[in-house]
Amino acid sequence: MPSSIIPSSPGEGTPGHQARISAYLERLRTCIGQWVAEGFAPDDARFERLVLELFALQYEANPVYRFWCVSRRIDPSSLRSWREVPGLPAAAFKESPVTCLRGDGITTWFQSSGTTGQTPSRHFHDSVSLQAYEASFEPWFQHHALDRWTDSAVNLRLSWISLVPSRTNAPHSSLAYMIGRLMDRFAPSGSATAGIAGADGQWELESAVLIGALERAQAEKRPVFLLGTAFNVVHLMDALEAAGKQFRLPAGSRVMETGGYKGRSRVLTAAELAQGIRKYLGIPAHDVLTEYGMSELSSQAYSRWSDDTGAGVLQLPPWARGMVISPETGREVSDGETGLLRLIDTANVASVLCLQTEDLAVRRGRDFQLLGRRPTAEARGCSLMSV
Amino acid sequence: MSLPELFLADRPAGAPTTPALIRDACIAIKRNRAQWLAPRRTQDLIEWIAYAAERWRDPSNPFRRRALEQGPAETGFGRTTLERGLDGLFVSLTAEALGAWVAQDLGDVRRLDEFCGPMGELRQGRLALARGPELILNIAAGTLPNPAILSMVASLLVRSAQLMKCSARGSLIPRLFAHSLVDLEPKLGACLEIAVWLGGSPELEAAAFAEAECVTVHGSDETIASIRSRLPGSARLLAYGHRLSFGFVGAEMLSSFSARKVAEKAANDIAAWNQLGCLSPHVIYVEDTGAVSAEGFGELLASALEAREAADPRGALPAESASAISGRRSLHEMREARSKVAHDEAVTAPRGVFFPVPDHGTRVWSSPESTAWTVVYEADPRFHASCLNRFITVKPCRDLRDALRYSDNVRGKVSTVGLALTESRAAEAALVLANWGVTRICPIGRMQEPPVSWRHDGRPSLGDLVTWTDFET
Repeated sequence: MPSSIIPSSPGEGTPGHQARISAYLERLRTCIGQWVAEGFAPDDARFERLVLELFALQYEANPVYRFWCVSRRIDPSSLRSWREVPGLPAAAFKESPVTCLRGDGITTWFQSSGTTGQTPSRHFHDSVSLQAYEASFEPWFQHHALDRWTDSAVNLRLSWISLVPSRTNAPHSSLAYMIGRLMDRFAPSGSATAGIAGADGQWELESAVLIGALERAQAEKRPVFLLGTAFNVVHLMDALEAAGKQFRLPAGSRVMETGGYKGRSRVLTAAELAQGIRKYLGIPAHDVLTEYGMSELSSQAYSRWSDDTGAGVLQLPPWARGMVISPETGREVSDGETGLLRLIDTANVASVLCLQTEDLAVRRGRDFQLLGRRPTAEARGCSLMSV
Repeated sequence: MSLPELFLADRPAGAPTTPALIRDACIAIKRNRAQWLAPRRTQDLIEWIAYAAERWRDPSNPFRRRALEQGPAETGFGRTTLERGLDGLFVSLTAEALGAWVAQDLGDVRRLDEFCGPMGELRQGRLALARGPELILNIAAGTLPNPAILSMVASLLVRSAQLMKCSARGSLIPRLFAHSLVDLEPKLGACLEIAVWLGGSPELEAAAFAEAECVTVHGSDETIASIRSRLPGSARLLAYGHRLSFGFVGAEMLSSFSARKVAEKAANDIAAWNQLGCLSPHVIYVEDTGAVSAEGFGELLASALEAREAADPRGALPAESASAISGRRSLHEMREARSKVAHDEAVTAPRGVFFPVPDHGTRVWSSPESTAWTVVYEADPRFHASCLNRFITVKPCRDLRDALRYSDNVRGKVSTVGLALTESRAAEAALVLANWGVTRICPIGRMQEPPVSWRHDGRPSLGDLVTWTDFET
């Protein structure tokens, strides 16, 4: 790996620390297993034990996070509740390697697909943290996209089509990694990957693969599971329009879209996206699932659409929590109020368990709803704000 | 006090505005202008406007009271912020200043009334008469009332019918000002229309463009480009794009006594209109050879803003704006934590922990439990636009030329530079700034209070409106 990307000793994970992280991973797996067995019912005490243990480990081994906590005057001995864990600003990932891992322990990294010109955020992993990633995304995805969706007979006949490049084709995409692993684990044979990363790293669709897979599924009357980013779905609509194709996919078909356009395609409203999915695939809005995740984290939130207004309340697994923080006071807002989303993820073992995002959200009880930027908001002043 | 429904914008929210309504309104105000406004004399207009402005300064004036009561909810500015901002404008709208403005831009206060000219022209046997456009469309931006009111005043002075297009939340105060004119002289209102529509409503704009001889726009580059592309060839466009401003403090003003005074004045510029105007500073450059360091100046500025907040609270912000501030703050707080670490032996940083960004010192002072004000000191001298709403960055520099070198990314976009310098240095600095492209230079503390006759973006605002007839005798 190029030395310019991985500094020689970014984190301070000593051998002793490694052993404790491995022990933590085992405890996390056990807890997740309990949550799965209990139908994902929240258990704040169990969650808090994980948070306090992981915070102490990361405070010790992640220097960037430690400096931030010191400046907030919080350390493992003063932390009393999971709600007090300091949220590291997401921007920190662009300035410094936010990791507990030593340079020689890093086996891979994921980076944000950020808008052109921005410094990407890098999330470094070793085999232990990748195992934690998998331990988190698999059961929660299975719960939302498969088990809760239809009975297993339908799920077993699903023809999966990934609009995202394969893991080998996009090795630094956390989404490609996740979808690749999920397909290995859950997708029956006959599934296809239609996404491809071009030489410039831009994600495109292979129309022939996409259309071939859709035609095959329609002919075999197999329901289809399409997975990709919102801009992938726009590219899909463009590809089917160009080919003059429209499908009426069998009942049980579904789309999982992960938010974000990032300047890679035109931006559609939820209603336009729903309309396109209905027009080109014959899949109704209530068969669309939104996934919200970040390359800096290891757990995801899901929301199944009820109509074409798009994603509603997003749910994280019980081993992660979202807090909506008032930008004014820095405290959690009341139910129904708007603020900045802070995510606490006990499966995020090698970097930081608590991330302060720049996403606006509305608190919905234990869960949250994302707010898009309001493009029609009128400017108040006449000063130039971006140069 | 309830306002009569004189203008389209007086109708209840949600009342539809159609191209036909716009066209009919334009035709009506043009007719009224020809019959009544065009034959007036400039001095009459000056007196009406100055009298209206004088009445606005009276605390019991019903228009003012309504502006201060409803303004905060409507515009987002706190009551004191509005009061100070409006007073600043109305104090400057005196008969003397308005007369001087006409004389400055047109050479003689009677230029719009009769053929006349200054002595130099008379000696050459030349006279000239200026005429305002038949109808001016003024497109105001945002919720800052002063630019809209000044556009209205300029159009009145050149005796044009005018259609003022306001943003949805920006119409209250211009409307109240118009009603206060009508209160003095009802016929003035018959030559004036105020409408509200969402920017980028092409049918409504096309109807207005077809009737306007001249269009003035305050707005972003995108708004201006879009209007330019849709304007018929017959109409003249006066575009005022978004600009930004900064302050510069000389070392000689940084004795411990004067530095505090300068900081208080700078706080005035930052708090005025919550920093949202194009004359508000984004950055204060501070010469780093003074008795008080640039970092020390940041601390003084923080106390000045804190005091200002107590007397003149910034008010609530929409979540997007508050988030922008908290995001920027945490970025700088992170850098602050890092630069502290470099000096703090209690926490040792292993080598190579951070990406190789130069370790510039950073300090952050901010209002506790709110985003009301923020001062960032950053040793990195490169100019960075503020997220505004009383968020200021203080940066050290060796001298003015150094500051300009680091502001190269905004060259050509700078409206005002506020100076805290001795008189002799200020004169020298003014020349450097003018040659660099700055269009207005003023003392720190008065950045948001330009005189009415100031040349907006370096242009004579009345002079650009009129058309001349030269008469050689």
